[in-house]
Amino acid sequence: MNIPWTLKYRPRTLSEVIGNEDAKKKILEWIRQWERKPPKKRALLLYGPPGTGKTVTVEALANDLNMELVQSNASDYRTAEAIQRFAGRSSRYGTLFGKRRLILFDELGGITGSADRGGLREITKIVKETGSPIILIANDAYNPRFSTLRKSCQLVEFKKPTKTQIRRLLAKICSLEGIEAEPDALKLIAERARGDVRSAINDLQALAQGRKRLTFEDVAWLSSRDRKEVIFNILRRILYAGNVSGALRAVNEADVDLDMLLEWIYENLPYHIKDPGELASAMDMLSLADVYRGRIAATQDWRLMRYYIDFMSAGVATSWSRKAHGWTPFRFPSRIMSMSKSKAERGRLRAIGLMIGRRCHISADRAAKDVIPFLRVIMQNNPEMGMGIARWLGLDDEMIAYLKSGG
Amino acid sequence: MSYEMWTEKYRPRSLDDIIDQEEIVNRLKSFVKARNIPHCIFAGPPGTGKTTAALCLAHDLYGPGYHEYIMELNASDERGINVVRETVKTFARTKSIGEVPFKILILDEADNMTSDAQQALRRTMERYTETARFILIANYSGRIIEPIQSRCAPFRFTYLPEEQIIKRILYIAEQEGLTITDDGVKAIVEIGGGDLRRTINVLQTAASTGKPIDEETVYSVVGRANPADVREMMLTALNGGFIEARNKLRELLLKYGLAGSDILAQIHSEVFRLNIPERWKVKIMEIIGETDYRLLQGSNEEIQLSALLAKFVEAGEAIRRG
Repeated sequence: MNIPWTLKYRPRTLSEVIGNEDAKKKILEWIRQWERKPPKKRALLLYGPPGTGKTVTVEALANDLNMELVQSNASDYRTAEAIQRFAGRSSRYGTLFGKRRLILFDELGGITGSADRGGLREITKIVKETGSPIILIANDAYNPRFSTLRKSCQLVEFKKPTKTQIRRLLAKICSLEGIEAEPDALKLIAERARGDVRSAINDLQALAQGRKRLTFEDVAWLSSRDRKEVIFNILRRILYAGNVSGALRAVNEADVDLDMLLEWIYENLPYHIKDPGELASAMDMLSLADVYRGRIAATQDWRLMRYYIDFMSAGVATSWSRKAHGWTPFRFPSRIMSMSKSKAERGRLRAIGLMIGRRCHISADRAAKDVIPFLRVIMQNNPEMGMGIARWLGLDDEMIAYLKSGG
Repeated sequence: MSYEMWTEKYRPRSLDDIIDQEEIVNRLKSFVKARNIPHCIFAGPPGTGKTTAALCLAHDLYGPGYHEYIMELNASDERGINVVRETVKTFARTKSIGEVPFKILILDEADNMTSDAQQALRRTMERYTETARFILIANYSGRIIEPIQSRCAPFRFTYLPEEQIIKRILYIAEQEGLTITDDGVKAIVEIGGGDLRRTINVLQTAASTGKPIDEETVYSVVGRANPADVREMMLTALNGGFIEARNKLRELLLKYGLAGSDILAQIHSEVFRLNIPERWKVKIMEIIGETDYRLLQGSNEEIQLSALLAKFVEAGEAIRRG
């Protein structure tokens, strides 16, 4: 149920991969050459920013051409021996069933440090003698560490898909999920992703999963300064720290807005902590943190900030036994979403409230509380009386329609 | 046929029309007679006639064209003291041309102003005291700063007695040709809680159904006006639905604009009506009390009340286990 949408909506064929038409064409041409004999450059080096579709392109390609994909990433091949074990043999022999092999080295940038020095050399060696096509993936092909390897590879650049391409993909996912999404909402998510498709899909899932509708107001607050990857990481480190020092370190090492962090923790707690007693303790810690937030505001004494941090991080971390319940995606703080939505709503209510206030000698707030709820019921009960009062108050058509809609 | 809110249609025009608040009305009438008034503070709960008294005073003082001599400002509607100061300046600078040598500025919800804003207001009051009189309207006079209080004549408004409210309901019903039953009147009085504005709004809404106004009609329109329910939120939490209860709480806070303390007061009165063991009612009360205290100190009402809901979830589980 809780599978990441990046996995669920992974492209099955090349044509589903968005953008990068040139790159896809180059890759196809190169792989076709293998049908006659190994081309001069026996490896491709795909490079480009994260989330531009490098890995999914290779997977879709293998699927389209019915090839067996032998893949591994940096953590699996840190040493020359490991690489030899993983790819050396694969590169020389075909598969048992005659399926052609495609060897993929993902996350090449992950090979770092002196312990791995042999790793790149080994890959370079394999590339020169391979009998099967090899594709390498890195974010930055021009890193000096790859200079030798680069000479044996054909380079293919992946560029960021356009906002429009990303937006269309998001729209497609929404329709498959049965979510009615406003184009502007998807546009904003696409813009915020800055060409990173994976992050756009993750955002969409966090914002829209389980909802019927996604409006612009639901996502408008997104333009906050903190990158969500940073927040997700801190959240995980706090929630699953299990001890005081780990949780505190998670907060101290990151430069995030603490009030926003509290909102993130508050939103996500009940999805991770299922035991009622543990949830109550963790919520109690957030309540204490908030008490200190209030004391800081009242006294302007910022030394109290440390207790605010202590309770929201260490307090929460030590409140529960960290029993995992499968993969639980982090969710955006829905309170903030409702607040920005109700901000627009409060704006409308205030405008109507001001009109009522002028006639009834009360403030807009009081009118919203004391008069508008009754006016709505009057409009349903007796449209003639309702419209008469609305005209007497001087409400315009839009205001009347809003009152009739029941808000 | 023309329509308006009955709160306006039946608002008294002259001090003579005001029901109850006799002592206050007599003092105000003596001002009219003397053709002079001091700065005033009208303090008291909502719907007890403070604004009405101010408007009637102006009417009796200046006659039917009184609108030209008064200005109404609502402190909660104006952004900052500068707006108030500028408006007051322009209004008070010009002398009144009638036989009364000053104009009246009615500042409603004055207790919502910060103390800095009130200090600025005090200076403005002094500067224009020749040409303008201020009537400050507030729910709590205690929230008006001492230097202003000492410059104003205080008037304390109290909730109207039940028989006066019933009289008013019956008067309006007669004027509007409504059929209303005794239990209908009783229900409206109960819901109005001494607030005449709310009382009349409930009456008009019930009348808009076109049906005879009985207890059932009254409760059904009020129920439709305020659908979000504190009791339901509590039951959801006690049955283990924390996230769902939290969503209901958010609706009460954001959509219906209820204050955290209002919600807590309702939770408090609901607890005794819950079908749970007696000793748990008292245990829960202790948690509510603690939450009330934290609400005063904290900065985020939803988090404080959610923490309470989480405790309800825990209590619900313990109650079911017996």
